[in-house]
Formats: sequence, structure tokens, C-alpha cells
Amino acid sequence: MTLKKTKFITLLAFCLLNASAGFSEEAKGATAKQVVENFQTELINVMKNGQKLGFNGRYNKLFEPVSNSHDLVKIARIVIGKEWEKLSEDQQKKLIDVFSRLSVASYAHNFKDYSGETFTFDSEEETLKGGVVIHSHLTIPDDKPVKFDYMLKEKGNSWRIINIIANGVSDLALKRSEYTTILQREGFDALIAKISEKIDNYSKL
Amino acid sequence: MSANIRYSKNSIGFMSKALGQLLVSMTIVLVYGCASTEVIEQNNPHQNTATKNPVDPYENFNRKMYNFNDKVDNYVAEPISNAYKWVTPQFVQTGVFNFFNNLKNINVVLNDVFQAKFAQSAQDTGRFAMNTTLGIGGLFDVAKHVGLEQNDEDFEQTLAVWGVPQGSYLVLPFLGPSTARGIPGSIFDTAANPTTYVGLPVQLLSMLNTRANAEGSLKFIDEAALDPYVFTRESFLQWRNNLAQDGKTQAVSDFDDELEEENGSANSTSNEQKPAAAPEKTSANSAESNNSYSQASEDFGSASQSFENTAKSFEEASNKLNIISNQKKTRRSANAQ
Repeated sequence: MTLKKTKFITLLAFCLLNASAGFSEEAKGATAKQVVENFQTELINVMKNGQKLGFNGRYNKLFEPVSNSHDLVKIARIVIGKEWEKLSEDQQKKLIDVFSRLSVASYAHNFKDYSGETFTFDSEEETLKGGVVIHSHLTIPDDKPVKFDYMLKEKGNSWRIINIIANGVSDLALKRSEYTTILQREGFDALIAKISEKIDNYSKL
Repeated sequence: MSANIRYSKNSIGFMSKALGQLLVSMTIVLVYGCASTEVIEQNNPHQNTATKNPVDPYENFNRKMYNFNDKVDNYVAEPISNAYKWVTPQFVQTGVFNFFNNLKNINVVLNDVFQAKFAQSAQDTGRFAMNTTLGIGGLFDVAKHVGLEQNDEDFEQTLAVWGVPQGSYLVLPFLGPSTARGIPGSIFDTAANPTTYVGLPVQLLSMLNTRANAEGSLKFIDEAALDPYVFTRESFLQWRNNLAQDGKTQAVSDFDDELEEENGSANSTSNEQKPAAAPEKTSANSAESNNSYSQASEDFGSASQSFENTAKSFEEASNKLNIISNQKKTRRSANAQ
């Protein structure tokens, strides 16, 4: 009987310990799940006011949320791959700048109106290399739901999104193939020109 | 990255069902032909500067085919599809979509069984029965409203489940993106689809329906892609992989590879990880056919050249039409004065 009791107490102690550990982590900074959910909330808000805001309004409203929840510098580096080392410092800066603007612009273009969409959190998973995957899905009325899996890595004391996998298609992998191909075939200036053209098109569509 | 990605399903193999029959013999030539086009590519100075993608050894040929298909789509398929969407009321379009989509279920059920997904095959059979009867021959998707979602299965996925390697990426004339494994897959899918046997008008309508439904995703590629060829290839391969694995495990492995890449330790591309793939086998096979079909490769090169010429003539024809219509306009305005 006493043995059982001590077991129970140790178990309880463990639970409490774990819980308090969880709390202290939260105090440190937003958890990966919170980062994703905050961003999704912002996105839905912008969609709700999408038509009223217009492209520029959506762009301005999304700029902060996107750059605060995504690690755009890291994403740009991964997307360029080995070619990154070959770029000059100015080129690297230029690339991060246009890439960030493209990321925000594509959100502003693709999430422009609202017809009852909602994001739902499904599960959370830790990767071997210390990252976290947040599995969620976007419910669209009268359409199939879209799975959104977010990869996050810790940067300083907060979590940042570095990849989004929509219905199994990895945005990072897609971009990396495109960018490295263009860099190899046509060079840096062509890449910047193409990105700028896309941003321009998004603002007009 | 966007809600529009949901369309990319329809888009990518949008013509793959259509025209299948006509091109069966042609594709067989292609499989062997493609295996040996490497010789031609090496002579291309443009290609030498770029590192070759192991999944896409025939990039040079594929790009030509991609451009050809793009022209065909711009000058033929898209105008017809737009006209169809313009004259046809939405409820008719939905009915047409439901009808052909329902027929696809026969193939889905077959492949459920081939993959030993028996519960799912029962569900899909129920779906087909319900839509064919209550849904008046499939015109209405009744099953969706009672919560029976459609599963996406085809013979290519079955081959993947059986352990057949994906093989090289190939862009087929008119049919669009495929892989070495996808070709026998779509031949079987075509054979298992009743649409194949009912005559040309229905097949044309089926093609039209597929193209009209791909509109959203084709537009998305247009808007989002910096290099539409690479964009299509990557999303096609990832989408097929994801389907073959039924949406499992993709996420985590994907990411870890990319971090490796960032550290400069790996130089592989993400779409190399395939379900039960045996890459050595594929390369051995292609090397073998490389020797035995080097003759065919030359013919093949000229074939791809003629596709390019055809694409060019499309462009010229459309330019001429523009010039003629402009001349008419100026003549008319001159007459008015």
C-alpha cells in the first residue's frame, strides 16, 4: 500500500515538475505552436479585410507578422544552397531584401479574400535535429481541406518558421530547385530581375 | 505557401488521361528513346554549365517538350477551354466534372484492391454506387454530402506501393509531366476508364473538362513560378510522392535534408527520397538502354527538333492573325474617314 502511495507521489511530482518546466519555457518566448497560431490569426484577419485593404494594405499589414514569424534570412540561404558562398555581401543583402518582399507579396496576393476559411491545429512533432513541426490544416467551405505543415527552428529565444509544406509540397524544396537552376543557368542578375518582376505582377493582379 | 495550392492537383497531369490511347505506341518509343538522349544533351553548351539533376537527366529534351505543350495550351487548349467556360453555365460544368470524376472511381476501387486497401475499396465502391444511382449517373456528387470523401488512387501509385522505382522525370508531348513509372501507370489508367471506349465526342468533352478544371492551378504556376519548368517538375514529383505515400512521413525527412544542404555537407535534391525506390537499379537500366538505343537517340533528337518547330509555327500563326486583324481595323477606320 505504502509502496503504491510513494509511486503515486513520485509520479505526481514528476508531472508537476514537467508542468512547471513547461511554464518557464513559455515565459522565455512564444512556443512554436503559438508562433504558428499567431501568424495564422493575422493571416485570417487580413483575409477578412482583404478587399477593403487592397494589395498595398494587405502587404503592409502582413509585413511585420511574416518577418516576425518566419526566419527569412535562413530561408533565403537554404533556397540559394551552395551558391550562397559565391555571392558578394552586397548581393546577399540584395537577395534577402527582394526575397523578403516576395514572400510578403505572395501572401498578400494569395490570401486576398475571406469565405469562411479556418486554420485548425492538428499535432506537434519534434524532429531529430531540434526542430518542431506543427501540423495544421486550412478548412475551406465547399472544398477539400489543405494540409499545412510548418517547420520551425529556434532562433535566439523564439521559434521561427523556415518551411511550409502544403498538401505535401514543400515550399522550400520547390523554391530551392527554382532558384539554384536560375542561378546556374542565367546568373544572379536574372534571378533578382525575375523576383522583382513577380513582386510587380502580384501588386497588379 | 498559398491556399491556391489546392488546385495544383488537377493542374499538373491535366491532359494525362486524355489522348492516352493515341499515344500509347508513341510513348513506348519515348521510354526507350529518352533513355538515350543523354548523348545529345552533352553536346549542348548551355547544359554543361549546370549540374545535372539526377531525377531529370533529360532536362534538355523535357524543357523543349514543356515549351511545346505550353504553346499548344496557349494557342489551342486554353482558348477552347475559355470558350467552354464562357458558354456553359456553372451547374453544367459541375455536372460534367462530377460525371467524369465518378467514372474515375472504377479505377480507384481497382487500385485500392491492388494495394490491399480493402476498407478503402469498400468505401469507394459505396461512393461509386451512390453517385451512379442517387446522383443520376454521377452528375451529382451525393456521396460528398454524406461525408464519403473521394480517395485518390491510380496505377502509378500501385506500382510505387509494389516497389517499382520512380525513374526519370519525363515531359510527354500533349500529355505533360510524367515519370518512367508514370507511363505504364497511365496506360493502365486509360484502359480502366470507360471514357476511353465511348467515342470521340465524349473523350473531347472529358479533355475539355480536365483543362477547364486545371485553369486555377495553371494560373497559379504562371503567377508564382520564376522558372515554370522547374516549378512544374518539383511540384509534380512532390505531389506524386505524397500521393504514393498517402501523405505520410514526407514532412520531417524533407526538412532535415535541407538543413544538411545549408551546412554544405550534402548536394542531393529533396525529391530524391522516394517510396521504396532503388536508385542503383534505375541507373543500371538506363545505362543498359543507353548502349542499345544510341541509334534511336539521334532520331529522337530530330523529333524533339520538329516539336520545337511546330511550337514556333504556332507562335507565327498567332502573330499573323494579330497582324491581319490589325490591318482590318486600320482599313475599317480608314474607310470610315
